[in-house]
Amino acid sequence: MMRGIHQNFDQQQAPAFFARGPSPLARLTFFTALSLALMATDSRLQYLANVRENLMTLLHPLQVIANAPLQLYQNTDEYFSTHHYLLAENTRLKKQALMQGIALQRLNLLNLENANLRSMLDAKQSLTETSTLAEIIHVGRDSFTKKIIVNRGKNHHVVTGAAAVDAKGVVGQVTRTYPASSEVTLITDKSLAIPVQIERNGLRAIAFGHGRDNMLDLPYLPANVDIKRGDKLVTSGIDGVYPAGLAVATVIEVKTTQDSPFAHIICAPTGGVENDRQVLLVSIPKIELATAIEALNSEKAMPTTTAEPATTNNAVHVNPSTQTTQAQKPAKPLSAEKPAQKPLANVESRPHAQQ
Amino acid sequence: MRNNKLRSIYFSLFAAFICILFPWSGIALTLRPDFMLLVLLFWLLRAPNQCSVGTAWFMGLWVDLATGGIFGQYALAYTITTFFAVIYQRRLVLFSSTQQLVYVFSLLLLSQLILLVLKAFAGHDFSGWSYFLPSVTGILLWQIAVILGLNTGRHSHGN
Repeated sequence: MMRGIHQNFDQQQAPAFFARGPSPLARLTFFTALSLALMATDSRLQYLANVRENLMTLLHPLQVIANAPLQLYQNTDEYFSTHHYLLAENTRLKKQALMQGIALQRLNLLNLENANLRSMLDAKQSLTETSTLAEIIHVGRDSFTKKIIVNRGKNHHVVTGAAAVDAKGVVGQVTRTYPASSEVTLITDKSLAIPVQIERNGLRAIAFGHGRDNMLDLPYLPANVDIKRGDKLVTSGIDGVYPAGLAVATVIEVKTTQDSPFAHIICAPTGGVENDRQVLLVSIPKIELATAIEALNSEKAMPTTTAEPATTNNAVHVNPSTQTTQAQKPAKPLSAEKPAQKPLANVESRPHAQQ
Repeated sequence: MRNNKLRSIYFSLFAAFICILFPWSGIALTLRPDFMLLVLLFWLLRAPNQCSVGTAWFMGLWVDLATGGIFGQYALAYTITTFFAVIYQRRLVLFSSTQQLVYVFSLLLLSQLILLVLKAFAGHDFSGWSYFLPSVTGILLWQIAVILGLNTGRHSHGN
């Protein structure tokens, strides 16, 4: 009998009241290791892209439910918007339509002229782009990155790398696509670079997001660079991602200091990066880009002894393999409209963009 | 009873997740408390047998997915934070409500600090002290819940 009790006691060394499975420390170690492994896999390898995509599909209905209250509010707000407001908007839109109509007439003429000039120069035709109108579902929930989620995805033929523009200029670039939505990284995000040109003098540069206060930087330009306050930056189109000539930003500050060989240039984006509800996703067809790369490679294979010294600096541009490895910045600095022998001479800024 | 409790745990976690999915923007986004961590901490104090470090890790993954960051950031932050809640759970339920409040506040700060360190590794800058505001609003929300009569496990040792 005593033995029986003893045995019983032995079995109950960890009374059920305290039984909680593995110790908290064991759980902590296990789950910490698991998180670290996940983080390493996700940031260094691309295995989890599919998993994320599938889970996002699962999440989509929840997102719709969560958005419903705001949607309802906006709809009722629109319904009850005042007569006066509608009239004012109507006048504004009419005025805008008139102004754009004039610009459009000139555009047709210019397009025709451009096509003629190109055929005369025997240059390739510039790329035609496809566009999708998307509505912003929500802005990124992470305060460290500048991202928005829009309601068009793979099902609507949105591809990663497409440019996001609004009526006033470039807003960002599609960095992830899910079946019914996609993630647009804004140009003010630290990880996004965009090849630009100064409208006034055609100087090429790369604009980087500032990360914090909705601004853009133009780094790695020499202190004596010809950029003034109020200069407009437009896309150069030499990356094959953004169509050329879209407004990007306006220079608001140029500072040169004694201790730095580079100018400190800050620009404010022209597009309504923070206050849009709709954006246009513009993508340039991949096929044309591929043929452009091929054409360039075949040119590269041919011995070009007449090349200027600048081509050595440009060698990094024409290597498509190094370009395509960059998932975050699919900025391929070549385009079909690039003339054959003339290298792109933004020698200062380009190599830095690869870092 | 136990099933009932499990159901309410799952329901509240789900509700917290929906709260995170709301289209927050601007100042609301800066002030948004970490609903998920608050609910997790509440259940860790109230029902430590049903909700544990594993639950926190799993919910952290979903938050990671919703924020679009690297997988595992929130999961790691929640894991470490809830670990500190679990090891002091027995003492916490005996604390006065003020003591409990201070401890929960430090846990919220801890999770934000971990996230900050992880983001720093990814190359992001510290965006100013307003980064820690969600902890403040979070603890306010906790206090409001306590005032409204939500039992944060403080008397659960009695019954």
